[in-house]
Amino acid sequence: MTREAFMVRLWDGLKGLPTQTAAEIVADYQAHFVEGAAAGRSDDDIAAGLGDPDRLARELRAEAGLKRWESERNPSAAAAAVFAVLGLGALDVLVLLPILIGVVCTLFGVAMACIGVMIGGAVVFAAGPFSQPPGGPAAALLAGLGLMAGAVSAAAVLTLVSIGLTNALVWYGRLHYRLLKPAIDPQPWATTEPVRP
Amino acid sequence: MPESVDIQLKKGALDLCVLALLSRADGYAYEIANHLAEAIGMGEGTIYPLMRRMQTDGLVETYLVESTAGPSRKYYRLTSRGRESFAAQRDAWRAFAAAVEDILGEPQ
Repeated sequence: MTREAFMVRLWDGLKGLPTQTAAEIVADYQAHFVEGAAAGRSDDDIAAGLGDPDRLARELRAEAGLKRWESERNPSAAAAAVFAVLGLGALDVLVLLPILIGVVCTLFGVAMACIGVMIGGAVVFAAGPFSQPPGGPAAALLAGLGLMAGAVSAAAVLTLVSIGLTNALVWYGRLHYRLLKPAIDPQPWATTEPVRP
Repeated sequence: MPESVDIQLKKGALDLCVLALLSRADGYAYEIANHLAEAIGMGEGTIYPLMRRMQTDGLVETYLVESTAGPSRKYYRLTSRGRESFAAQRDAWRAFAAAVEDILGEPQ
């Protein structure tokens, strides 16, 4: 592969990252080619040493998405993390995709149910004093409050489950790094306290 | 997919090797990549994401040096945090390696 082909494929693959970040990454590899050529190596040889640029770009982009999810826990970061893992193009994505769609639909259904119960609770609470509910207005007020509290707690559990599932997906995605793996793996020596002999 | 012991060992020591090289002298990425590729067979492409991560973690910082031939070079140097991290990792590695050596050398 020529230097131009490598750089074009890397640059194309990095689309979606902030331009500044992509430019820095591309500049690093560009410099690598310059240094390699100065040391008398052929472009082919240098490109082979670096690995597949498409794969490299996919993993760099995926890692950026996953990092974002780890620093900001919100639905858009979660969606970015999910797409990052899908974008990795792991072979078993065909297995993962139907499961993922099922899970997302289920979560969505439960979320809708929570909203429905919330609205129902509000209606019972508001209408209670003005209609003739069985057990009197006080019972209707309490029942309304109970329904709304139930919906809120179910929504809280749903949020926790969603976060857990996204984390599981992030873990799954990182299993499929090939080129990037050594660079992002936790280093056992980094966390170990100095051992006193 | 299970990885060979060889690869696992290299991955575990990669950070430490980069810190060690930089603790002796500031260096640029190609030099570090080339050195590690020859010495422990690390993929050269791996070094760039690794350097970016170490920079984000505040272990290294960069500065540009004008080069006589071609564009200026980006050099990496250890920060004080990088030096602390290196000292801690080196001690941990030595203690671990010595313990493994002891076990390997035990009489049958």
